[in-house]
Amino acid sequence: MTTHTPPARTKPAGTRTAPRRPRHAHRAALATARGRTGLALVGVVVLAGLLAPLLTGHGPTDQSGLSLAAPGTPGHPLGTDDLGRDLLARLLYGIRADLGIIAAAVPLGAALGCLLALAAAAHPVLDTVVQRTFDLILAFPGLILALAVTAILGPGRLPVILVIALAEIPVFGRLLRTGILVQRGREYVTAARVGGTSGGRILTRHILPNTADPLVVQIAVSLTVAVFVEGAMSFLGVGVRPPEPTLGAVLSQSMPYLAQAPHFAAGPLVTVTALVLGLSLAAEALNREIRR
Amino acid sequence: MRGYLLRRLPSALLVLLAASFLVFAVLRLVPGDPAAVLAGPDASPETEAAIRARLGLDAPLPTQYVRWLGDLLTGDLGPSYAIGGRTADLIGDGLGATVELTLGALLFVVVLGAAFGILGATARNRWVLGTVRVLTTGALAVPPFVTGVLLVLLFSVLLGVLPPGGRVPLLAAPDLGVQYLLLPSLCLALPSAAVLGRYLKDGIERALAEDYVRTATAAGITPRRILRRHALPNALPPVVTLLGMQTGHLLGGAVLVEAIFAWPGLGQLAEQALVRRDYPVVRDLLLLLVTVFVLVQLLTDLVHAWLDPRIRWE
Repeated sequence: MTTHTPPARTKPAGTRTAPRRPRHAHRAALATARGRTGLALVGVVVLAGLLAPLLTGHGPTDQSGLSLAAPGTPGHPLGTDDLGRDLLARLLYGIRADLGIIAAAVPLGAALGCLLALAAAAHPVLDTVVQRTFDLILAFPGLILALAVTAILGPGRLPVILVIALAEIPVFGRLLRTGILVQRGREYVTAARVGGTSGGRILTRHILPNTADPLVVQIAVSLTVAVFVEGAMSFLGVGVRPPEPTLGAVLSQSMPYLAQAPHFAAGPLVTVTALVLGLSLAAEALNREIRR
Repeated sequence: MRGYLLRRLPSALLVLLAASFLVFAVLRLVPGDPAAVLAGPDASPETEAAIRARLGLDAPLPTQYVRWLGDLLTGDLGPSYAIGGRTADLIGDGLGATVELTLGALLFVVVLGAAFGILGATARNRWVLGTVRVLTTGALAVPPFVTGVLLVLLFSVLLGVLPPGGRVPLLAAPDLGVQYLLLPSLCLALPSAAVLGRYLKDGIERALAEDYVRTATAAGITPRRILRRHALPNALPPVVTLLGMQTGHLLGGAVLVEAIFAWPGLGQLAEQALVRRDYPVVRDLLLLLVTVFVLVQLLTDLVHAWLDPRIRWE
């Protein structure tokens, strides 16, 4: 299910010197209508998660006597769930849990993938080893990987983070490896080498800055994938352990009550859609700006 | 082409062998001795030992691994520990349900993808274009569990025309089976249909910009005929390759869609086996899913190489 949008293409060959764009291209991308809408959607959701304790007086696992109360019930603006827990509190703390998971998992996967790509760039033998490692991870489709990891660790927050990070390692690793290979063949790198610049300096000062663009787009894409994976794992019963709310967990708990109490599902439905659409819009805005 | 196959096949087999080793090793790391779980908390050590011997778990690990590979090659997977019945039967039943779901989804992918692509490239009506764009963007961005809940809300709760979950085998009762199949396969198909539609739209638009289309228009051939006879055939080949890749995605996505719609396929079997610590079922199932995925990838690579000779010489 991991629907990765195609990563930004690296610049067509033939451009002789590499740097040609103002440094604040990412800011320019996010200033477009598309980028602004995306950031606004993500911003609202993130803010709601961060301010959770201020926005609701209930705890996410506090039970009141009211089961499946309708929205607008005094004290429960979004109503309550089957166990009488406040749905607004479950939603806000669910956002918090999701944000914590994806904010830990995506950078972790990106960092590991990039480290492996750097290792691959260092030596042909290492390259083969790293490439086969990526193949092996990719041989496990995302959710199968989730099942396998949970089989070892049992359900919980850590396995969710690990699954997301693991799935992202080959994505970032391949992206950076290709980028390095493309840049290394460019004339400006040859020129720098002829000029006596050391290998390490060429890598950090010339190659890496020019491979960063697709990685930035991929981070936005991977964040949406992380939201997918968290929700999917909750639906599969291998996500974060029950009383703790996440967006996916609340939604999957609402499934048996869709006919009776559709409001149970409404909060997470709207929030997940806003978050994922916002991230996709931001990713697309970045991608367009970079491809120009 | 044969050279490419000969180069590509061993690496696929190697990935499979590594995956089998990984699956075996991983499941030996699972906390909880399967024999102890089976015997129950009150069993004497002798009972546990007897169970362990019966299951072959007392043999050294390398022996167990080789024995398992042998079982896989002969197709005799032995009994399941906890769910009951033979592992091969359980997996066979689940596979039937999952294949049914995937084929249903594939049909939706082709029909909806073609509709999105052709309408997106040729429609002149603003509303039609807008609807297609919103649908494809939404289908791609929104996770399947959100679309799944929305579909149930719309078709089961609001309209009350389709069941919200469960399965009646299509071959046993076609009329009832279709009703159960519609929502899950639509939910599974939407993201792939959107991808396919986008590629098809680009392909048709590119083909329509070619000189031969201008010539055909000048010769008085109707737009409909130009689309059918000239633009579509030229836009199709890359889309067919894409369809192959998307089939792999569908199989992976089926695991989730099965959980949303209580569809008793391989994904549900995996979940059940995990919860009940049914070690052989989990092990064989994981390997089966990985094998299918690797095969789909291999096939896709082969089709690519067949369509694009440059790949063969890389």
